[in-house]
Amino acid sequence: MKKLSNIDWNQIERFLGSLKFAVTIILLFTIAMIIGTFLESYYGTDFANRTVYKTFAFMLIQFGMLTSIIFAAFLRLPPKKRLYGFYVIHSGLVIIGVGSVITYVAGVDGTINLAPNEPSREVTLSKDVLRFTYPDSGKRVTSELPYTAFKKEINDEYDGIKILEYIPFAEGKFVWTDSINNYPTTTPLHSSKYHFKNAFAASDILLTLHPEASTEFQSTQAMGPLTFNYMPAGLAKCFESPSVSGIFLWNSETAECFTPEEKKLKVNATSAGNRFVVLPVNINDTADKKLLTFFPDFSPYPVDTSFQVDQKSIIRIFSKKIFEEKPNLFLFGKKVAFFSKADQKWSILDIDLKGKGVTLPWMGAEIFLTDHQDKLVPFNLPQAIVPIQKNGSIIKGDLRAVRLEILGKEYWASNYSPLSVAIGGKKMIVEVTKESLTLPFEIALTQFKMDKDPGTNNPASYESFVKLFSDGKMSTHHVFMNNPLKHLGYTFYQASYSQDNAGNYNSTLAVNVDQGRFLKYLGSLMLVIGAIWHYNLNRKKKGAKTS
Amino acid sequence: MKTYLFLLFSLLFSAQAFTQEAYFCKKELGTLPILQSGRIKPLYVHASEAIKSLTGKTTVDNLSAVEAYCLLSLNGMGLPTTINLKAKIEHVEAIKFFGLADGEHFIEFEKLIAREEEIQSEARSGKGDDSYKKAISKHLDALFLYKDIKNGNNWLLADVQGTSLNWLPLTAYLTEEKVVAQKALTPLDPFMPVLFKSKEAYDKAFKDKYMIEYYYAKAGLPTVSMLLSILALACLVLFKNIKISLTFTGLSIVTQLVLITLRIIISGRAPITNMYETVLFSGTGSLLLGVVLGHFKQEKLYVYMGLAYNVCTMMMINFANGMLTATISPLVPVLRDNFWLSTHVTTIILSYGALALSWVLANTVLIKKKFGKIELKEELISAEIIYTTLKWGTVLLAAGIILGGVWADYSWGRFWGWDPKETWSLIVLCFYMAILHGRYTSWIRTDRFMTFTAGAFMSVMMAWFGVNYILASGLHSYGFSQGGALFLGSFFAIQILILILTLNKRVESKETSAEHT
Repeated sequence: MKKLSNIDWNQIERFLGSLKFAVTIILLFTIAMIIGTFLESYYGTDFANRTVYKTFAFMLIQFGMLTSIIFAAFLRLPPKKRLYGFYVIHSGLVIIGVGSVITYVAGVDGTINLAPNEPSREVTLSKDVLRFTYPDSGKRVTSELPYTAFKKEINDEYDGIKILEYIPFAEGKFVWTDSINNYPTTTPLHSSKYHFKNAFAASDILLTLHPEASTEFQSTQAMGPLTFNYMPAGLAKCFESPSVSGIFLWNSETAECFTPEEKKLKVNATSAGNRFVVLPVNINDTADKKLLTFFPDFSPYPVDTSFQVDQKSIIRIFSKKIFEEKPNLFLFGKKVAFFSKADQKWSILDIDLKGKGVTLPWMGAEIFLTDHQDKLVPFNLPQAIVPIQKNGSIIKGDLRAVRLEILGKEYWASNYSPLSVAIGGKKMIVEVTKESLTLPFEIALTQFKMDKDPGTNNPASYESFVKLFSDGKMSTHHVFMNNPLKHLGYTFYQASYSQDNAGNYNSTLAVNVDQGRFLKYLGSLMLVIGAIWHYNLNRKKKGAKTS
Repeated sequence: MKTYLFLLFSLLFSAQAFTQEAYFCKKELGTLPILQSGRIKPLYVHASEAIKSLTGKTTVDNLSAVEAYCLLSLNGMGLPTTINLKAKIEHVEAIKFFGLADGEHFIEFEKLIAREEEIQSEARSGKGDDSYKKAISKHLDALFLYKDIKNGNNWLLADVQGTSLNWLPLTAYLTEEKVVAQKALTPLDPFMPVLFKSKEAYDKAFKDKYMIEYYYAKAGLPTVSMLLSILALACLVLFKNIKISLTFTGLSIVTQLVLITLRIIISGRAPITNMYETVLFSGTGSLLLGVVLGHFKQEKLYVYMGLAYNVCTMMMINFANGMLTATISPLVPVLRDNFWLSTHVTTIILSYGALALSWVLANTVLIKKKFGKIELKEELISAEIIYTTLKWGTVLLAAGIILGGVWADYSWGRFWGWDPKETWSLIVLCFYMAILHGRYTSWIRTDRFMTFTAGAFMSVMMAWFGVNYILASGLHSYGFSQGGALFLGSFFAIQILILILTLNKRVESKETSAEHT
């Protein structure tokens, strides 16, 4: 190996400042960008960032550009008058570069989601993390996941959990798996797959009661005006029983049920005509009794003596009456129940696995049972794919999943399905999420306003009215397009909005801290002034020559 | 109510056999203010756009767009009209789907109405390639528009009560009371006065600013300026008469400036918010730049470049309707900032205009050299001129990109985000920087310089049109039947062909350039 002193530094300097190096590095930079824009167009912004724009290689190219810019200027020292513009341009570019590095290292670029009147200080950033939450102590631990576009082995360990692999873009592949936890034999765990079709549409629906099922699979699902309600098979008996009240009570843990008539309970009515049922139950297997009062036409849960609704009650009530108005389909695995408005009566029919379908009273709709499992878990097993974007959002591959190993068994945690486990009696929730930052102050949305162009549904403006709580002081602000809110170095911009289930508008603000801003602006100014200076001087020089 | 109006119609119009079909639908209605797509505009403009989007033309048989639109709307009043609009079907697969014979391109909307559910389920099924899907959904949209007009709901008239303004559909506006009251005054034609009362009341309360758009639409300025530009170019190139050419050039510039100014007045914002406006602006800007530079440098080649490019843009404005729509629509919220819009976008578009000048001259020299004759002196002068326009173009582009960064920082909180439009503008700058650096240090010879400059303009086209027409739609949703993608594809193909054809004179030009350096 050569000694450092033997290396011809002048030659290296001349190479780095040479035109050939400059043009090569500019072209490399350009080609990378072209590839980036096409990747973004096909696979989405996140994928392009992970494969091009935010990779080490691309940063190296940009560093190469900076090197070239610096050395090109260096080689043309000492200063010559005709090159003043050139020096200003090149220093401007270097200053922009330095500003960008500062922003990259120290800046914050995230979003904050504000629900109406709920103060928040959580800013979501862009890095993927694995978050462990201990519900009992409220403790939270996060572990950073690799910034990659393709699946990557990890081999990390935290508190008895081995983190094996991270898939940043995945798609669920449906499988039936075994339960991880053990359940009493009476617990209803069954799942069914139905095929539903009418004149306009056909679709497969998977409904489940299993607590370990992927979160895409639920016990209720809406399709247009129709709601599918998946019920424990044991309840079909009470649904069928010819009770006058159309009410039954049931135990959500064992799925045992009975009608008020069977237990000789009276269905009373308040002076306002609201029906109620009072059920005496034993407290914790003792002979002491307490009274549970149900208002079946309002809530499945009982109220206590102070009229507080007890949502933890395992004894619940069901009133068929409230499901008669809108189309509701009740599915008990191999039985189907619905209310026909034309006949004004409930029908309960058997549905055979892979057999004949059941005709429903809504526009010739039919339903078939295509699969049924009593104990197995319906699960979407994450598979790595290349994402696909359409109109700016990922339509395929937006599942981010981590494969874990706990006590020799394999588990998955994802951004859609958090994993709940108990290790040695300690409960823990593991989920893939985004890194977050806690603001030193709080913001609450008082109102989100969206104006529309007259006579259309096109938004004309988005505006958020927010309250800011800082140092015990409260101030109000109005954030809208091109009018950000600035506080303690943070800047909040109106970015987006969403609507929650209740129809309330939530507002999303972009949150930004940029320490490199001044340098970037200064460099830009120098660049423009330098360019004008440079070309102006050249023009004069040429003019002088020709005359 | 409808029966009464129907009787009234029949009575009034059966007496005048020659107008029986037209009822009261006359061209004069074009001056009525209406509300459409979030803007108040004259009926003439909306009717022309609507009829054009339905049938592909602005007239139906012998009827003007306003008459056709009005007659179609009358169906909503329960008045049967025999007006028969036909949809134009162009996509080959769509022609098959609609069951048209070979060479047949038109199908009656009434027939489409009967098949609405079928068309809808075809649109939803996602069958066929992307251009087919787009064609089907385009026809579905047209069908909805047709039905909306036919129900009388599309035509919204101003109902002014004091200072409050409501917009009522024709069916709700044209009530029996109003017509009967008017009939006492003008027994022969009670309808027109009732309709025009909405205009009178609106004008009184809110002024008739929308009429500017009426005159603007009627004036046909794009055609006038295109013809003037062509004449100017012809005088310069064919007849070598610079004085007459400059006269026409001046007239064309004035017409285009009036056109742009009118659009500013009508929309109340900088005239660069859609493809139509950017093309128009870049053409005008580069012609102005060409004339100004030509004056100071005493070189008519600048005027030639400006005119040639201006003719291209004016042709696009006039003929490329599928890609560039002249409709003035409200802006998306983020662009509603006149200061940034008029600084950032204007700078970028002007830079594209300046780069277009270099593209015109580079191609001219390349073609002349290959297929005609060019003096070495002219070639060197051209190279000098191209270098000048490139300097202008890149400085403006760099300034424009920076202004864009500042705007993005100001309204989104980030200076740079690798957004495709941003990235492509930087790609353009990089290409031209590479060329400028190579040329500045004489690394790139004159003939290569021409080739590179002509080729580099493809990156401008990509940044300008490609990002919107090719990249924005992603992998699965661009078919080359799309106006924009087809245009770009042809542009690239022709440009590359020119570059290849003109490439083989290398050895010869090496000698010549060696002689003169």
